[in-house]
Amino acid sequence: MNPALAGLTCVVVAGAVTAVSAREPRAALLGLLVALLGASFLADPLPTPLPIAARIVAAILAARLVAIAIRGGGEQTSGSRLGWPVEALAAAAAAVIGYATHGLGAPGAGPPEAQAAGFAIGVLAATPIVTGRDVLRLGIGSILLLSAGLLVRQAIGGTPSDLEQLATSGLVVGLGGAVAAITLGARAVGGGLVAGEEAAARRPTRVHGRGVGPIQTSHRSGAHRPPESGPAAEPTTHR
Amino acid sequence: MTILPFLAVTFGAAAASLLTRRSERLSATIGILGLAGAVVAAAAISADEMLAIGGGELVGSAYLRLFVWLGSLVALLLALLGLLSGSHRHVPGVLLAGIGAAGLALALPDARIAILAATAGGLVGILVTIPLPALASGVVVAARELRALAVAGALAILAAAWIGRPLAELAGEPAVFGLAYLGFAVAVAIRFGAIPFHFWAARLADAAPEVSLPMLMAWGPAAFAVVALAWADQSVAPLLLPLTVERSLVVAVGAVSAVLGAVAAWIQDDLEHVVGYTIIADAGIAILGLAALDPAAWEPARTWVIVFVVARSAFAAWAVAVRLAFGSRRIDELRGWALRAPLLALGLVMIVVASFGVPGLAVWEARTGLIDLTLDGPFAIVVTLGALGPLAVYARLAAIGVGRPSETVARAASQRPTWAAPLPSRPALGRTIAGRGVERAANAVGGGLDLLRTVPAALGVNRALIASLLVLALAGISLALSAGGFGVTAAAGAVPGQVPTPIESEPPGSESEPPATTTPDGSAPASGSPAGSGPAESTRPEPSFQSVPSP
Repeated sequence: MNPALAGLTCVVVAGAVTAVSAREPRAALLGLLVALLGASFLADPLPTPLPIAARIVAAILAARLVAIAIRGGGEQTSGSRLGWPVEALAAAAAAVIGYATHGLGAPGAGPPEAQAAGFAIGVLAATPIVTGRDVLRLGIGSILLLSAGLLVRQAIGGTPSDLEQLATSGLVVGLGGAVAAITLGARAVGGGLVAGEEAAARRPTRVHGRGVGPIQTSHRSGAHRPPESGPAAEPTTHR
Repeated sequence: MTILPFLAVTFGAAAASLLTRRSERLSATIGILGLAGAVVAAAAISADEMLAIGGGELVGSAYLRLFVWLGSLVALLLALLGLLSGSHRHVPGVLLAGIGAAGLALALPDARIAILAATAGGLVGILVTIPLPALASGVVVAARELRALAVAGALAILAAAWIGRPLAELAGEPAVFGLAYLGFAVAVAIRFGAIPFHFWAARLADAAPEVSLPMLMAWGPAAFAVVALAWADQSVAPLLLPLTVERSLVVAVGAVSAVLGAVAAWIQDDLEHVVGYTIIADAGIAILGLAALDPAAWEPARTWVIVFVVARSAFAAWAVAVRLAFGSRRIDELRGWALRAPLLALGLVMIVVASFGVPGLAVWEARTGLIDLTLDGPFAIVVTLGALGPLAVYARLAAIGVGRPSETVARAASQRPTWAAPLPSRPALGRTIAGRGVERAANAVGGGLDLLRTVPAALGVNRALIASLLVLALAGISLALSAGGFGVTAAAGAVPGQVPTPIESEPPGSESEPPATTTPDGSAPASGSPAGSGPAESTRPEPSFQSVPSP
């Protein structure tokens, strides 16, 4: 076992545990950022500096986009109902399994630590993905799930090429942007971080905060349609 | 020319269009110009050029060129339709990014990278799923979309990675390949919203702008499916493993989607839901292509994918034009629509022919070929009838269209071309010849300016007519394609073998030795690259495992 990679695995898993357990959105985001940054280095041999730089920039940019979406609001995420110790134990168990099954049936070309981390954060991502009505948790779960897949890929396929690292960076930024857009939307409709019409109905219909202006809500479906007041109605572009 | 200019145009214009979204006109202008540029750049892609970049390759192919050219053209027409119908202001940017990502995915011979590009392209759609101002329903749908994309992406990444390496010491070979194959196939089914993974896709039709539906539900997933087809054809099919259970499951998903998607489309009252479910039904046939694991399925599967996404794009455009003309998407309110809008009626007829075809046309042969390769006996008959199920939808629309016009249809504006306002007359009142001459010249300039000032208003009052013409253009493209036009069958069936020259390594004109790889049955290699061009054979190492003979 490579001690440096093992330590990095612990950092990645700790970040992921924080990301799925913390109720404070900024803490969860910080955990996600730590996990993403650590995952960039979990390869043997290490990628060249340029791809690593791309991954780091992508992770920071993704986190920044989500930070813009959550700033100014006092909402808490729903956090983990099981609590962080349970999440950490589940992640540890998954990491052991991942480490022990390195290569998944054939010798892996990458480090077993990457597979351990991949299994661990894959398990951590499952709950937010399956049960998440909290859009921030769902988004974090989605990013972690894809990161888990990429880590397992690094473990069994070896260090990705520069082009693949670049594509991964683009995907991470895209994920950050998507999570930010959904989080902004959820806050705008007054549902806090919870997606759902009933959740929105329980909240005030207007929210005021930095980054989210006063936004009127409506629950009619067909969100993008112009009012059907008559034939060939004037265009009503959604601004 | 490589695909690089196309990628630069699409991603550059998409970024510019989205960044300038506060200025709606500027954003739309950039988007439209970008799409027009993408059409040109796509047409210039060379089918036999490869660009080595960052340890990977971007490979051109005839299929890639056709896919992105048609995708750009369709996106341009849909974006124009979106401008007429007052769609989401992010639409042009999202269409650009979507088709750019699809092109990138198809150009990457390494499935592990192509999956990342295809997944990232899907994420862009979330920008238009949430309306402005935001609605709770849109947020819920966007959250489901993100979840579906993440799960599908993770499954595909794992599947491609699992067997995308030397496997000489692989334990449990059939199980590993079967699971990887099943994982990738499920990922494709999730991306298409195939039944039973359709919940997010069904709601998507409610939340996303009509003109972006084809990109979100068809073009993006289609690129993902083409990547999967190439991966399965290269990594799984040559092994001739039994994989009976796995293939049966994939066939079941495809067949059920084809049949129940058609039924669901038939019972819907909302045109946009009808469009959504017909896409799901057609996607079922595409999934059958993934289940075949036979080199014979290569050409029909890829033909079907491109033909159905163009046909469904035309149908989505038709639904937008109907709503624009009559102010309603509810079928029961559209009685008599065909009599009131004959151009739309003609467009629907063309779309029907393009969607189903007749024996001998490319679309018909592709559909029947895929069903014959994957199903036998009564199942084949049921799925064939199910695949023709959307005909009932069209028959219903036609029957309603020729009925007595409803109140909604009766009060719709005529589709005859009209001018916004009469042009003022400008008599020449000068007393001398020279004076009248100068006055006439000034009047001509003034009249021209009057004409230009009236154009926006004229476009406004003729929106329904222009939308109908755009639908006809899309329907015409779709019809030509389904008849085998644009060289679709040749492009889809291109067998790898011509090795392109890496731009960095060898000068143009130098000849390379074609790879001598063959599939275990002795036929030509079915595919190496997602784009269907052969370069992958020359750029990816051959698997080190031994093929398992079929029992």
